[in-house]
Amino acid sequence: MKFESRYARNKKTLNDEDQLKLTNSCVAIVGCGGLGGYIAEELARIGVGRLVLIDGDRLEVSNLNRQIMATELNIGQWKVEAARARLQSVNSEVKIEVVRGWFEEEKGPELFRSVDLVCDALDSRQGRVILERVCHLMNLPLVFASIAGWFGQLGVSLPGDFSVSRLFGHGEEGVEMAWGNPAFTPAVLGSLSVAETVKLLIGLKPSLRHAWLQVDLLSMEFERFEIQ
Amino acid sequence: MRVTIKLFATFRDGRFKVEERELSEGCRVLDVLQSINIKPEEIAICYINGKDANENRVLNEGDTLALFPPVGGG
Repeated sequence: MKFESRYARNKKTLNDEDQLKLTNSCVAIVGCGGLGGYIAEELARIGVGRLVLIDGDRLEVSNLNRQIMATELNIGQWKVEAARARLQSVNSEVKIEVVRGWFEEEKGPELFRSVDLVCDALDSRQGRVILERVCHLMNLPLVFASIAGWFGQLGVSLPGDFSVSRLFGHGEEGVEMAWGNPAFTPAVLGSLSVAETVKLLIGLKPSLRHAWLQVDLLSMEFERFEIQ
Repeated sequence: MRVTIKLFATFRDGRFKVEERELSEGCRVLDVLQSINIKPEEIAICYINGKDANENRVLNEGDTLALFPPVGGG
């Protein structure tokens, strides 16, 4: 089967030049769980040429409630391998590289060697701060997102901004430990991350630099706060 | 003095979303936290009038205090 019209419905939103930029881009997704799964899915569908998926976990039954890569048939598989299998069936033109291991600061230069942008989909506040430090040193834009229950936070940190360390540097463990994550929250925050990612890749100004979006799906409020 | 207190995410649970309160002069963020039963270590982001602040800050007439719990899941 031929797939020439794959991106036909992207036109108007993304012109041929934009689509080519996406094809020539590489995005690393750090964490391949709730958020990372949706981010990977959408970046593959929109035609980002190369994706690097990083996660050291295997799929569990408790992932089925929200992780798009998890099915009843692949429990026990590495999350990144399950993601690769699904993404290749969605868009075989996308090159998928997988790392079956956890992100660590010292691995950054190797993992992000030929990457244009990093998406944070980690589940640790401290991990996000370390990830931002690595992105800063490697001069890479970072789109960060976090979720808990009905709530989420999202923003863009360009080298030198240190937005993540200002937002995630204080406080105890996140409320997600008690509230968990239902299916819709990673889907919403993952999609918002992808919108900011696409803007950065095609050369548009991101909307959430020096700011974060506070997402409340219980009251359906999306509020922007500046990081001054 | 009048101060507006805005709570976000799980902090609203059993409390309120936004409330205007009459506080005594010299009142600190910490005093507000005690009155709404939130511990300083539960706070990830504390903003006064849209800017970073901490629990020791003295509040002024007309201030808006915004409090956010940590949200760290992925």
